[in-house]
Amino acid sequence: MTLQVTKVVGGYSQIPVLKEVTFDVQDGELVGLIGLNGAGKSTTINHIIGLLTPFKGEIKINGITLKSDKDAYKKQIAYIPETPILYQELTLKEHLEMTMMAYHLDPEKTWERANHLLSIFRLDNKLDWFPANFSKGMKQKVMIVCAFITDAPLFIIDEPFLGLDPLAVHDLLNLIDEQKKKGASVLMSTHVLDTAEKYCDRFVLLHDGTVKTEGTLPELRAALPDAGESLDDIYMSMTKADQHE
Amino acid sequence: MNNLYRQRLSSHLKEMFKYLRLVFNDHFVFALLIFIGGLGLAYSNGLKELQAGLWWAKPVIFIVLLVVLQLGRFATLLQDADVVFLLPREADMRRYLTGARWYSESLGMLYQLFFMFILLPFIQVTDGMPVLSLALIALTQLLLKDAAFSVTILRRFQLRSRWLNESFWLNWLVPLVVLVCSIYILPVAGLVLALALMIGLRVVDARVNQIPFDWWKAIALENNRMLGVYRFFNLFTTVPMLKGVAKRRRYLDWLLNMVKAVPHNTYLYLYSRGIVRSGEFSGLYLRLTILGMILLYFVHGTWLPVLLAALFLYLIGFQLIPFYWQFDDIVFTHLYPIAESERVRSFKRLMYSLLTLTAVLFVIMIVIANLNWQLSLTLLVVEAVEVFLMVQYYLPLRLRRKA
Repeated sequence: MTLQVTKVVGGYSQIPVLKEVTFDVQDGELVGLIGLNGAGKSTTINHIIGLLTPFKGEIKINGITLKSDKDAYKKQIAYIPETPILYQELTLKEHLEMTMMAYHLDPEKTWERANHLLSIFRLDNKLDWFPANFSKGMKQKVMIVCAFITDAPLFIIDEPFLGLDPLAVHDLLNLIDEQKKKGASVLMSTHVLDTAEKYCDRFVLLHDGTVKTEGTLPELRAALPDAGESLDDIYMSMTKADQHE
Repeated sequence: MNNLYRQRLSSHLKEMFKYLRLVFNDHFVFALLIFIGGLGLAYSNGLKELQAGLWWAKPVIFIVLLVVLQLGRFATLLQDADVVFLLPREADMRRYLTGARWYSESLGMLYQLFFMFILLPFIQVTDGMPVLSLALIALTQLLLKDAAFSVTILRRFQLRSRWLNESFWLNWLVPLVVLVCSIYILPVAGLVLALALMIGLRVVDARVNQIPFDWWKAIALENNRMLGVYRFFNLFTTVPMLKGVAKRRRYLDWLLNMVKAVPHNTYLYLYSRGIVRSGEFSGLYLRLTILGMILLYFVHGTWLPVLLAALFLYLIGFQLIPFYWQFDDIVFTHLYPIAESERVRSFKRLMYSLLTLTAVLFVIMIVIANLNWQLSLTLLVVEAVEVFLMVQYYLPLRLRRKA
């Protein structure tokens, strides 16, 4: 079991945004984290990557918590933020070198993989560029390349599909698949439900800081029999049901 | 729309006064008074050496007037988001710009009057013009400034006229002709020309109503103006709005390549590149180091140079410490699986390198200026102790206080 979130209560200030959130991501699994704006997706992710500390509950990655071994915990995460964030003073090449240094990666082997990824995303001729010269989509691709050279057992991907061109979306999904086959787990938050429906193994439906339902698509259908076939239908009926309460 | 400009102006002025207060602190005001007093004295002494009929007096007058004419820019106070939010009200932009013109032009006119007041004694001594001519020239200058503002406004509309958009013609050449006319030929002639220019441009300005406003250009010009203002304030105090752009500075790569790309150097790799390529901290470091060196060249004595060098070294170290947190708003700085102690170690190495470089430069300067081995040796010892104490004891203290 790679990621285990147990009864996490947490948020930015004293007021909890997450109310006893519990779910897990198994080895080789892609789990979609689905929810409206403000449902708590980003808060959940910020707790997992260690930017926020839960008030209650615990988060384990392969049995390690942030408290028990900070560096070992962090080493297991590769994170792709929703808004790309880059060091203004570092070139693309230097970002990759930074990542290799920080995660103790073997430069020679990693560069082989990096060059492969760079050519997939058509960045291989921009190694000396500064982030200021990249478009939003390009920056996002840099984030993807940085994350996928790490060989981390857990990938946290926050809304990857907006801003990427269709080709890049396709390539990203391939990369995720490749990592899954190697046994890595992926937690991905997204609003693009039809893509999520096609590619995710399981779903965690977050609403108002709580996990409404979780499971595979057939399980979700069984739980809400009247909702409809697609993830979109299920999700819509769930949020509507909540509004009528 | 007029209200909008008024609102923006009041918050703009509030901001400017905040910075002005920081710039004109007690020490600076004191230094400035002495400086201005000195300048005034030098000017009045200089005037005593002059007499009427110097061949270069008139050129100096019109060149100064021409340069002064460029002072006082058009503050539209437009913001990036305006292109979205004000676009539907483009028809009202005229009223907004009128408000902006009123404020900017008053300020511009004040500059003109101020500098003409300073120039007055010089004209009196070298030229001995009658008062009436002086008044006419002053009026010409003000009319030219008004014409200049009409041009600036016109340029913010989507006019395709190259003649109007090239700053050389209307900002420099036309005023030059007018000023030369009033100084060499007849003040009244200059005045008439300036009046014609001013009225003509006002008429053109009133006629462009149907031409679309050039949002991108106007916003870019305003951002440029504010950047200049912030840069000025940044000489004295830190301006948060001033996010410098990273420069590649390839010629310093040999320096950066001295940091080996191994895991325990991760932060040193980041910090060294950050300081070399961003303007903020490297500029601070360079300014203080160079200023210190210049002062050390001129200051002599047994203890004063040592004290001064120690003070500058402390100032540099003190101001470098916040660079530790420079990358904290980038999430990856928190995600990298690297112990905080590694980061501190990297930062210490950076500070040692920078401060040692400054210390050595100071010693070299003292050797050159004083040729006194005893003094140089004292300074070397003092600086070594100071750098060691700063990095080993003071830095951790500051880091702990922030944490």
